[in-house]
Amino acid sequence: MRKILPDLCLLAAMPLLVYSVHRVFLETPIERQMGTAFKIFFFHVPMGWLCMLMAVICGVAAGVQLRRRSAVAGAVALAAAELGFVTGLGVLLTGPIWGSATWGTPWTGDARQVTTALLWLVIAAYLLLRHYGPRSSDRLAAALAIFGAVNVPIIYYAVKLWKTMHPSTGVVASLPPEMWATFWPGLIALALCTLALFGLRTRQLVLADELDAAWVRLDDNL
Amino acid sequence: MRVVRQAVLLLRSELRQELRDFELLLSAGFFTLVLLAMFYLSFASLPVKHSLPAVPAMLWLTIAFVGVLTLTRAFDREREADTLRALLAAPVERLAIYLAKAALCLLVLMLCCLVLVPGLWLMFPGGAAFAEQPGQTALLVLLGCGGYVAVGTLFAAGLATGGGKNTLLFIILYPLTTPILLYALATTRALLDRHPDLPGFLGQMAALDLILFALAALLFETVLVGAGVAHRPRDRPRDRNLSRKPAP
Repeated sequence: MRKILPDLCLLAAMPLLVYSVHRVFLETPIERQMGTAFKIFFFHVPMGWLCMLMAVICGVAAGVQLRRRSAVAGAVALAAAELGFVTGLGVLLTGPIWGSATWGTPWTGDARQVTTALLWLVIAAYLLLRHYGPRSSDRLAAALAIFGAVNVPIIYYAVKLWKTMHPSTGVVASLPPEMWATFWPGLIALALCTLALFGLRTRQLVLADELDAAWVRLDDNL
Repeated sequence: MRVVRQAVLLLRSELRQELRDFELLLSAGFFTLVLLAMFYLSFASLPVKHSLPAVPAMLWLTIAFVGVLTLTRAFDREREADTLRALLAAPVERLAIYLAKAALCLLVLMLCCLVLVPGLWLMFPGGAAFAEQPGQTALLVLLGCGGYVAVGTLFAAGLATGGGKNTLLFIILYPLTTPILLYALATTRALLDRHPDLPGFLGQMAALDLILFALAALLFETVLVGAGVAHRPRDRPRDRNLSRKPAP
């Protein structure tokens, strides 16, 4: 069951994603103040949440990797960082498009924009260290991931801590019912896609580790 | 107390080594002067209105660059002589090693700031507030450099023990230290603008420093030697065996 779970998630996500796009562009009314640009909200917010979730998973897995020297935890952390990088890039691309249409400028130096960009930079640094660092840099990368995870609550509460133009944390709860009904299918579809890819990538990394270990054992026996 | 005593002893040893050739201080000080001269040549003609927001940026950019140089050189010495491994094998608390190294780097950065801050004050009219509020300026620089050094020491030490490339320190350190540098930047602007909330800004910086120091101190031992071998030197079986009578 565990092996086919990512495939099942991807299968479930496909029709949901089509339904979600259909609802966003054809069923949901245009927002009065922000106009058509508001439709980007239905992709921007789920990607932001998923980026933060992946950063937390990466930080927790890195902590376990440091504590228990677990190769599986290392694989989980790397897979989460890769997906955090992709979803973070999505947030950083869609945010300025939305901002440009509603604020008149793509980048205001707003606290949440800056903290999100910093989290993405930390994830990028983590990936660079894991891919190009020396063999012993896994521990260092794990510490970096933990610092990255600490950034997540700062991003979440940035809109409350500092004066900012960014919508507050309660914006989703205040959506009218027709937008609410569009938001959740999109979020679930993107979450299923991300979790499926996360599962597949983790399994791939674990298998790669096992294959390496098998080669080493074979070399030792010869 | 034991950790503090060991940290002071290690710091004294570091300072003794530094006083022999002044390598760290001279290279960091010279680099500070070079950066200051480059900023002066680039922005000397800025009117007061524009130099006011530029001065904090120049201050913290210089500290960010000089900080990396200091951290790299501080651990290069250990790497060249392979003394960090010897230090880790010695019966010394790892936290004391972290504290001593962080204190050394902080001291060097603060000495560089003794050149940097008056330099910015003399060269740019926007930096006049530095002279008017010397106590708050010193506290601001101490807190900013403290946070930077707290994170930097952990990763510089990790790269030094792992045989990592120094270029990786730039990749790791800048994204991680940007929050503290941004905070320091905002606080410096508040200082130059004579903002009434300056003590509040400084308090937030102190809180961030505490979090960074605590997290870095917590991770230092594990990052350097790994979880499986990360235990106190006094608990090592080798030490316990010494007190046992030899088997007949």
